[in-house]
Amino acid sequence: MSPAREAFYLPLLFLTVVLLGGMRIVDRVVLLPPTLFALVLGLLLLGVLVKCGALAPERLMNANRPALANLNGFVVLGAAFLAGAQAFNLATPDAGLPYILFSVFFLVLLLNTLAASPDRVRVLRSLVVIFGSAFILKFIVLAAVSDPEGGRLRRVLLALLEGVTLGTLTQPVAHPATGYLAFVTLLLFLTGLALLPHEVASSQLSVVGSRAPTIDN
Amino acid sequence: MVQSLYIRALGLVTTVCYAALIGWMYVHQPQSVAEVTGALSANIGTYQVDQPAFDEALRLFRENQFAAARSGFERADPAHRDARTQFYVAYSFYREGWGRLYNDDRLFTLGLEAANRAVALSPHGIFQVDDAGLGIRTADELKAELESGLRRDVSDLNPLRLFRVRK
Repeated sequence: MSPAREAFYLPLLFLTVVLLGGMRIVDRVVLLPPTLFALVLGLLLLGVLVKCGALAPERLMNANRPALANLNGFVVLGAAFLAGAQAFNLATPDAGLPYILFSVFFLVLLLNTLAASPDRVRVLRSLVVIFGSAFILKFIVLAAVSDPEGGRLRRVLLALLEGVTLGTLTQPVAHPATGYLAFVTLLLFLTGLALLPHEVASSQLSVVGSRAPTIDN
Repeated sequence: MVQSLYIRALGLVTTVCYAALIGWMYVHQPQSVAEVTGALSANIGTYQVDQPAFDEALRLFRENQFAAARSGFERADPAHRDARTQFYVAYSFYREGWGRLYNDDRLFTLGLEAANRAVALSPHGIFQVDDAGLGIRTADELKAELESGLRRDVSDLNPLRLFRVRK
């Protein structure tokens, strides 16, 4: 991994996710810090990435690297952890039954991925599906149910949810820009995850032949 | 190798500055770019109130044109970093919201927010203004007056309230 990617691109990208992930536009702009549960999920996500080889922490920090390089690596790990927490904070509804359901959904999915321990590509695909479906449910489906003006989608959803108490589902109504901002933020986050230094597969090593896996410095 | 070292060091400094900015934004929750730049310049001691705009706003305040005065104060202190300006903003909300029978709670709430800003921006939390035209000269007194105006208790039923005067 190039020094520029490790010292500039990845930390700045993840920190931007930290900033935008907490931004909610209502009647004014509010910055929400991650909840304690989002921090737990962020740590779990980091564990999943390491277990599945999508993140190789030894390529960011090890005894053979200079102190400054290790410091850069530490910053990348810290920023990735906080960005993960904020990504979950962003994708989780703010209140009510959906908040609990989404939190349990994320926890179970992460534990399941940890147990299944897929390879890097599969875990990244799985994260795209997790965050993509959470985005659709929160910013399209729940936003439509919570919209007091209502539209065709709200009427369809109300017909489907007949008998369900809507008070448990509705969310604080946010400015439409919040959804667009969330979309960009999640894209940035997933891009950052794909750019993280990962384990080199053994098949790749055999093709490379004499070129042993090098430790970045 | 040397170039790589420079890139890493510069990257670290940039990242730390960016992280500090994000942390500051989460703590202070700025609402506009002016608040961000104003607070940053106040931190390095270069923030200044637009004095002509402040003087004009003060003239409007003394003529009881409170909404216009607040527009002027906003121009004079767009970052809300000057205790004196925020004190006058709070006072304009107080005077406009004050009523012999009842106070305007919305204006009093906004006034309380401005008074809190004035207190927070003052050294040791004490702000005093030397203005003979004001019945209240300190931010603490103004804050207490606004809080008492927002409070609901039996003294609201006291008929002598009709004879009280606006400060």
